[in-house]
Amino acid sequence: MSAPTLPPDAAASTPLYRVRGLTRTFGRAGRVKALDGVDLDVSAGQRLGIVGESGSGKSTLIRLMAALDRPTTGSISFEGQEITRLPEPRLGFLRASVQLVFQDPRSSLDPRMTVGSIVTEPLRSRHLRGALGPVQAGVRLREVLDAVDLPPDAAGRYPHEFSGGQRQRIAIARALAPGPRVLIADEPVSALDVSVRAQVLNLLAGLVAANDLTLIFVSHDLAVVRHLCDTVVVLRAGRIDEQGPAEQVFGEPRSEYTRALVSAIPRIRV
Amino acid sequence: MSLLEVSDLTVSFGRRRRVAVDHASFSLEAGQRLGIIGESGSGKTVTALSVMGLLPETAQVAGSVRLAGRELVGLPESQHARLRGDLVSMVFQEPMTALDPTMQVGRQVAEVLRLHAPERSGRARQHVLEMLGRVGLTDAERVADSFPHQLSGGQRQRCLLAMALINSPDLVICDEPTTALDVTVQARVLALLDEVLSAEGAACLFISHDLAVVSQVCSDVLVMLDGDIVEAGPVAKLFTAPEHPYTRGLVATARIDQVRPGERLPTVEDFYPRAEAR
Ligand SMILES: Nc1ncnc2c1ncn2[C@@H]1O[C@H](COP(=O)(O)OP(=O)(O)OP(=O)(O)O)[C@@H](O)[C@H]1O
Ligand SMILES: Nc1ncnc2c1ncn2[C@@H]1O[C@H](COP(=O)(O)OP(=O)(O)OP(=O)(O)O)[C@@H](O)[C@H]1O
Ligand SMILES: [Mg+2]
Ligand SMILES: [Mg+2]
Repeated sequence: MSAPTLPPDAAASTPLYRVRGLTRTFGRAGRVKALDGVDLDVSAGQRLGIVGESGSGKSTLIRLMAALDRPTTGSISFEGQEITRLPEPRLGFLRASVQLVFQDPRSSLDPRMTVGSIVTEPLRSRHLRGALGPVQAGVRLREVLDAVDLPPDAAGRYPHEFSGGQRQRIAIARALAPGPRVLIADEPVSALDVSVRAQVLNLLAGLVAANDLTLIFVSHDLAVVRHLCDTVVVLRAGRIDEQGPAEQVFGEPRSEYTRALVSAIPRIRV
Repeated sequence: MSLLEVSDLTVSFGRRRRVAVDHASFSLEAGQRLGIIGESGSGKTVTALSVMGLLPETAQVAGSVRLAGRELVGLPESQHARLRGDLVSMVFQEPMTALDPTMQVGRQVAEVLRLHAPERSGRARQHVLEMLGRVGLTDAERVADSFPHQLSGGQRQRCLLAMALINSPDLVICDEPTTALDVTVQARVLALLDEVLSAEGAACLFISHDLAVVSQVCSDVLVMLDGDIVEAGPVAKLFTAPEHPYTRGLVATARIDQVRPGERLPTVEDFYPRAEAR
């Protein structure tokens, strides 16, 4: 591993992720400020919820944290190592530790690949092998399918043969395969109907607890975030509007905007 | 006569005729708002696509779908196309696939206007910007000039909503219209939908897995399971005294706010065990 060697007590106080002055603009002359000077620390084992209205920069932020995109200015360090300027071949340590689950299981799974090859794909990545060491792909495949409650024979089938909830479990199995320490999920249950949403959330919560995962969870569903996360960041127009323990942010929101968000949580009205 | 009368609608796919919708019957009055809930794969979208005449060639359709007195099953595509956008429009579940990736979204919205309301298309740009503003897009100009991939999920979804509403149809079908939206925008979009539907006296078929949203938008609701309508009735009754065990499970899982953070959430299986987990 290329992680810096630190004395144990220093390691404990160094955040896993350290984000400073993160700005990402798009368009001619940077007309769209998707992110505007974001500072954020994420420590190991934290379950961080990122909420905020549509277009506030949530997906942009996590894409940068996963090094799928580069910031306009600002820095992100992961385990003390700056990642925003590293070339892809040197991002192996990040790729091995951080996995993503996206909103739409329909479009995030390659329809031409079997579930087995989809799930083990991260294990075959050139960058991962060095960091992970040789992996018994077949064994690992059965392990993670079992972890997400899919039968072993799912491996030989194709994504379209599964329902939306099952497909999202396939995506979670793929994310778990390389044994990540951080799971980043962008609206992982928004496209699912309520009957499977509860299953997937129970599954996620169980996996996070069982594997000591750090969870970064983007959602516009505040009820879900409140249920799953211990801390919350509220984004607004690319800036952090409020952050703190989930209980406090939802229970006694400080900003006007967060108050509006909380009061807009839909409730069954009869 | 009801605005929409669906009787014994059966839709199956492929040579093996896998049944997606199984003898479904329901009706919708002018101005009425009917929700459809049910798990993934239960046939909600297929039901909606039958009304839109947008099922793929591999679909076999039996039964009857009458919209404003006209039989839609077996209607030639050229005639069905004329009804779409005029009498009935739809907000699709997957905004990325419903938008043309090669065309700026403002032009796509204008296209709908041009096809169905040629008299208003002279001032198309202005209408489009106005409509984009009404669905809560504050920077309408920028959005109109963007390609779909340059927009966030929620921005795309609102463009689709603008497209569906711009010609004031009699029936608006919404398939998970607010799934990609955060709560404040959702609240705004639902308020807008409510306002436009009321102002135009338009009816709405509202598909959603969010029971809370259905309870806010609709007066009545259908519950679908494996292509069947297993329960139907007024929202107030269905959500407070559901009869079918599956409906009871759905209502219980929707109440995340009643579960202590971190505790196991109730699932539908707790109420309605299935032979094979789906
Ligand atoms: N590739 C791009 N080109 C131009 N603008 C972009 C691009 N990607 C994102 N944006 C803009 O950046 C802003 C933030 O987008 P982002 O996708 O991060 O929002 P979000 O908070 O994830 O919203 P949602 O909840 O709707 O998914 C939006 O205004 C969006 O239009
Ligand atoms: N083009 C198609 N070819 C074959 N089968 C199809 C096709 N479209 C839908 N189906 C099948 O019909 C059934 C009903 O699908 P439908 O899309 O209506 O579900 P839904 O209730 O809208 O689910 P979701 O909540 O996931 O959107 C499913 O079993 C699906 O696999
Ligand atoms: Mg997003
Ligand atoms: Mg559907």
